[in-house]
Amino acid sequence: MEATADRLAEQKYSFDVVRWFTIMAVVYLVVGATVGVYIASELAWPFLNFDTPYISFGRLRPLHTNAVIFAFGGCVLMGTAFYTVQRTCGVKLWSEKLAWYTFWGWNLVIVLAVLTLPLGLTQSKEYAELEWPIDILIAAVWLAFTFNFIMTIAIRKTSHIYVSNWFFLGMMIMIVYLHVVNSLAIPVGLFKSYSLFSGVQDAMIQWWWGHNAVGFYLTAGFLGIMYYFVPKQANRPVYSYRLSVIHFWALMFGYVWLGAHHLQYTALPDWTGSLGAAVSLAMIIPSWGGAVNGMMTLSGAWDKLRTDYVLRFLIIALAFYAMSTFEGPVMSLKTVNALSHYTDWTIGHVHSGALGWVAGISIGAIYHLMTRLWHTEMWSESLVNVHFWTATIGTVIYVVAMWVSGIMQGLMWRAYDEYGTLAYTFVESVAAMHPYYAMRAVGGGIFLLGAIIMLFNILMTVRKSALQGSLREARGTLTPAAA
Amino acid sequence: MDALAEHFRTDWAAMTAADWVGTILTVVIFIAMLVAYFQVFRPKNRESLESRKHILFEEDRDDLGDDDGRK
Repeated sequence: MEATADRLAEQKYSFDVVRWFTIMAVVYLVVGATVGVYIASELAWPFLNFDTPYISFGRLRPLHTNAVIFAFGGCVLMGTAFYTVQRTCGVKLWSEKLAWYTFWGWNLVIVLAVLTLPLGLTQSKEYAELEWPIDILIAAVWLAFTFNFIMTIAIRKTSHIYVSNWFFLGMMIMIVYLHVVNSLAIPVGLFKSYSLFSGVQDAMIQWWWGHNAVGFYLTAGFLGIMYYFVPKQANRPVYSYRLSVIHFWALMFGYVWLGAHHLQYTALPDWTGSLGAAVSLAMIIPSWGGAVNGMMTLSGAWDKLRTDYVLRFLIIALAFYAMSTFEGPVMSLKTVNALSHYTDWTIGHVHSGALGWVAGISIGAIYHLMTRLWHTEMWSESLVNVHFWTATIGTVIYVVAMWVSGIMQGLMWRAYDEYGTLAYTFVESVAAMHPYYAMRAVGGGIFLLGAIIMLFNILMTVRKSALQGSLREARGTLTPAAA
Repeated sequence: MDALAEHFRTDWAAMTAADWVGTILTVVIFIAMLVAYFQVFRPKNRESLESRKHILFEEDRDDLGDDDGRK
């Protein structure tokens, strides 16, 4: 029945662009994680810089973040948004051409990032490093993505707009606003520009963007994925639709205030950081409401986790979502922030969210899509299981290493001796970090191994589908009457 | 003036246009959030809202050509 529905959906909707986004997402996951493991290794074993500026940590780090956030994350978001909006609205994409423009435009952005960042061409704004011509291209592509999504909703055959579409829509609108304002700059050449803002205003705008890239791009967008793919994979409706509505509005109203908590103990007015921290704490309520809502979807069917590896990815992702949305507000408190800020604890927190939540929910969604878009089972279920364990173990090793390293760093930096002078030099704290940096590289390496296994498995699945002719069959043979 | 009153004391005359926009926006969003909570958790709206969660499974019926009354 489900396979038949998928075949009919194949004839009814535009899935080619979704297939390409899906494949490219996994390619970029491998590329981004490879760069990540390499720069983690550079920190543990600095000779890996080879005295070459193009592969130094400072230049490759933004390449890593851009590759995993915008290349991998972007392809996942665009592919799943185009897939779910069609299936929940009962209509084809408003414009297939615009969808292909989005695909090629986004990939062009990624290629330009790969070319410019190792050359040191950067605006030096975290998660917004790309220079102004690429920023304009990003805006043009993102607007096309948003417009196509909105128009598809506008021509829908259903009366209600399903909650996943609300989350996607919230992300799209907010990212337009955030990206445009944060990227306002005065160009002084093709590859150089200066921000329109300066001093503490620049810092505030930067972290208003920076935290909302987390809040709207890496949270709201991926929650859109969660609200579609968890119920579909579990074959049960979401636990509470009312909770999902509150989750959405609380996220939209609340998240935008949090940015200032990145700037505690700086030139920013004290009350601004306190407000950011207070709203951060308030955000635990909707975040945990959403996480519980996703997990409780399995209520009465927990046994599915024993056999369904894809569901395991989706549910463990929700556990990481709950964990990191508690950890973040705690870290925003001034007392905790005094210890955690500028240490590796932040890196551990970010990767708990990035590897555990974002990658976990994306990988689950991609495996779900593979069988429905290529109309065949995965080439190897066992490899999906191996991937689950490598991803989970790799993430835990990485995060634990950074937690221990970060707390140790914070404590060493503020330790005083009996004469009131610092107990440790900075170099001593760097030397103490070495075992944890090596451990982080190992954890990242295990996660990367899982990503490579995934890429191999999905390429073999595509090959299997081509050999079986299952996609060709789904495209042309069955009709509603025949079904 | 006691400590609490001092804590909440505001120099209204010193408020700039940006301060007023921010203040009004904050109050409006707070009220909007209250309205959202009220509407969502109002017992009267429970059934209609919760029925939406089945949309995901109705899409497959639609694909098969069933008419569930939403078209």
